[in-house]
Amino acid sequence: MAFTSDVVDGEITHDGLTIRTYDSAPHRRGEDTIVLLHGTSGSAQSTYWALFPMLADGRRVVAFDFVDTDGATADTYADQARAVIAALCDGPVHLTGCSFGAVIAAHLAGTTPEIVKSLTLIAGWIKTDIHQHLRYDVWFKLHEEKSAAMPGFMVMTAFSHAFLTMRLPGEVDALVARIGDGSDRYAKMVFNRTVDITDAVANITAPTLVIGCTQDQMVPIYHSKLLFGAIENARFAEVPSGHAVAHERPSHLLMLIRDFIDEPERDAPGTVHAPIHA
Amino acid sequence: MNIQTTTPKQQVDAEVLIVGTGFSGLGLAVILEREGNRDYLMLERGQDVGGTWRDNHYPGAGCDVFSHLYSYSFRPNPHWSRTYSKQPEILKYLQDTAEDEGIYPKVRFGTTVTRAEWIEADDLWQVETTTGTYRARALVSATGHLSDLAMPDIEGLNSFTGKMMHSSQWDHDYDYTGKRVGIIGTGASSIQIAPEIAPDVSHLTVFQRTAPYIVPRRDAPYSEAQKGMFARFPEVLQDFRKELFWGNESRFPQRLQIPAFLAQIEEMSRGHLEDQVADPDLREKLTPPYSVGCKRILISNDYYPAIQRENVTLETTGIDRIDETGVVLTDGTHVELDMLILATGFEATELPIAEVIHGKTGRLSDQWQDGGQAYACTTVHGYPNFFMMLGPNTGLGAGSMIYMVETQIEYIRGALQYLFEGDKVIEPDREAQAAYVKSIHDRAERTVWIAGGCQSWYLHPRSGKLTAIWPDYMSQFRKENGTFATKGYMVRDATVPA
Repeated sequence: MAFTSDVVDGEITHDGLTIRTYDSAPHRRGEDTIVLLHGTSGSAQSTYWALFPMLADGRRVVAFDFVDTDGATADTYADQARAVIAALCDGPVHLTGCSFGAVIAAHLAGTTPEIVKSLTLIAGWIKTDIHQHLRYDVWFKLHEEKSAAMPGFMVMTAFSHAFLTMRLPGEVDALVARIGDGSDRYAKMVFNRTVDITDAVANITAPTLVIGCTQDQMVPIYHSKLLFGAIENARFAEVPSGHAVAHERPSHLLMLIRDFIDEPERDAPGTVHAPIHA
Repeated sequence: MNIQTTTPKQQVDAEVLIVGTGFSGLGLAVILEREGNRDYLMLERGQDVGGTWRDNHYPGAGCDVFSHLYSYSFRPNPHWSRTYSKQPEILKYLQDTAEDEGIYPKVRFGTTVTRAEWIEADDLWQVETTTGTYRARALVSATGHLSDLAMPDIEGLNSFTGKMMHSSQWDHDYDYTGKRVGIIGTGASSIQIAPEIAPDVSHLTVFQRTAPYIVPRRDAPYSEAQKGMFARFPEVLQDFRKELFWGNESRFPQRLQIPAFLAQIEEMSRGHLEDQVADPDLREKLTPPYSVGCKRILISNDYYPAIQRENVTLETTGIDRIDETGVVLTDGTHVELDMLILATGFEATELPIAEVIHGKTGRLSDQWQDGGQAYACTTVHGYPNFFMMLGPNTGLGAGSMIYMVETQIEYIRGALQYLFEGDKVIEPDREAQAAYVKSIHDRAERTVWIAGGCQSWYLHPRSGKLTAIWPDYMSQFRKENGTFATKGYMVRDATVPA
């Protein structure tokens, strides 16, 4: 399904790879552009089905599908993002990444700061830790065994208790049925086990918003706090959500991102946002 | 004793007069009362607080917004009995609020405002009522969207000799058991009433003009454990409230007709209809002819089953007229009735209170010929020191009005503090107001209410403008209209010390 009725799908060629791109408003190319880097689940659509059109209501948004290659590194993935930005954008962009996409966004911002106007890191991390390794071990075991338990395991670890318990049983069944067997994310899971972008993160200078999720079981909020600790020019906001925050609370992310991008330097570095009151 | 030092003071009855004691007026009063700095009085035409929840007590009356969200954040209630409370529990909540917060002594009951006029020479509002004249430095209209009923424009309506009542004026003394009953309208009230009375009447005819979208009602009682947890961990209750809030907020993209969001809600409503209605002809009749969200999406698990009872008819032939004994359809069929229920809603676009409010530029309703307009959705050029709660563009398609109410409470609280601490008179600048209203109407263009191809009570009947609904996220409303600032206002010192 198209993100919006007027989104333009395209493709660029980079290093022999064909990368699918999505542009909400090619005619606004000269304007500030938000570039979205998707998560482990494999496509711009699967991470940003909600957030892309919501952000595109008023702003130009560009997204693309990462292409997996053998032995991919943070830099080879970041190169794909750089190629898309060079092909579709004039001037520095508002770079937003979620999960795996946040890792690549942070790496990109630390290595090519000149193309980043602002940086938003949602549920990202710097270096994979032993807690994550335990979950990866289970995941790879289920994958090798082609286990029927995989979809339920992924839903359980992706979504928060609060979100799941608000759904009807049939709706949770549908989530499990839709998430697939995980094979579409195998390559990125291999990469995720090895993440260490410590050096790049130390070089991030763009105004940054770090968003952590309070009930994240995949990348606990501790990792977002580490990012906030590592990036001098960062602000911090937390969202009560699981790792699948882009599905659970797209409107909450929208408010945080819109507000930040409007004036990235408005809040001083080190600012921790107060929880939004309802 | 020193009696000659002050200049003569124009006598006022209070700094602030609040008209209405429903959710909005009462909420403002609680905050002013707790703050303890403002001298206010409330004028109420009824005999108790509660507004729409006092008046709408028809069988099955309840709220379509989760109770933990449809209540004041500053007065959480861990004891809500279920997800969606019924009217008596909501009214009790409001009555308890008024009692516990010490509001009752401030209310003049049985007092209908007949004319409120800004007296420029004295910098005060003079409010004529059925019980006398009140004067105040500032006036707050808190009379709501859903307070004055709308009657259908049908020939012969008043010739009906059976029992006729509007849903918001239910006469509980009338026993509908065993009667032939008709109900006009298939909106939020009707779909609550029909399932409730269907088992008791001899026959029920539901006259439908346009089928509504209906989705499942996720309603369940709270366990004692949950209530105890909410009581002992107020922060858990607040987290739950936020979860509910953001869930609603994430439904707004449906109103922007974003494909993925539309697909979700369409699938949900179609699935509900298919689950509950097997007959394809009836399904067809119950399928709305407009884009989802253009009119209010209703939530019910018992409306479709009620429609399929043996003693219930869904009548989709149009109504031609009403006569002494019933309804005459456009095909000439006569439907004999003992009782006719008008579930035809409220005057939401042309707010009756505007008829009696007179500022520097005349009557507010005349200013609003083409639909209500207000700066920050709250104040009006030409009407100094006047604030309107739940006025133009404050309604919601998906969400709790209490969020909007609380946003306006904070705005008005700040404005009143500014007025009285500095002895000021304020009104919005004409251009600032026009620019703000334009920004709202520009935003409305991209929403389903304008682009979705239906006539709804959200649209102003003459101008076609979206005047009842806020066409953006609720968070954005709070960002724009939640904190008073003098930008956009003409400010001057009051000529007479308050």
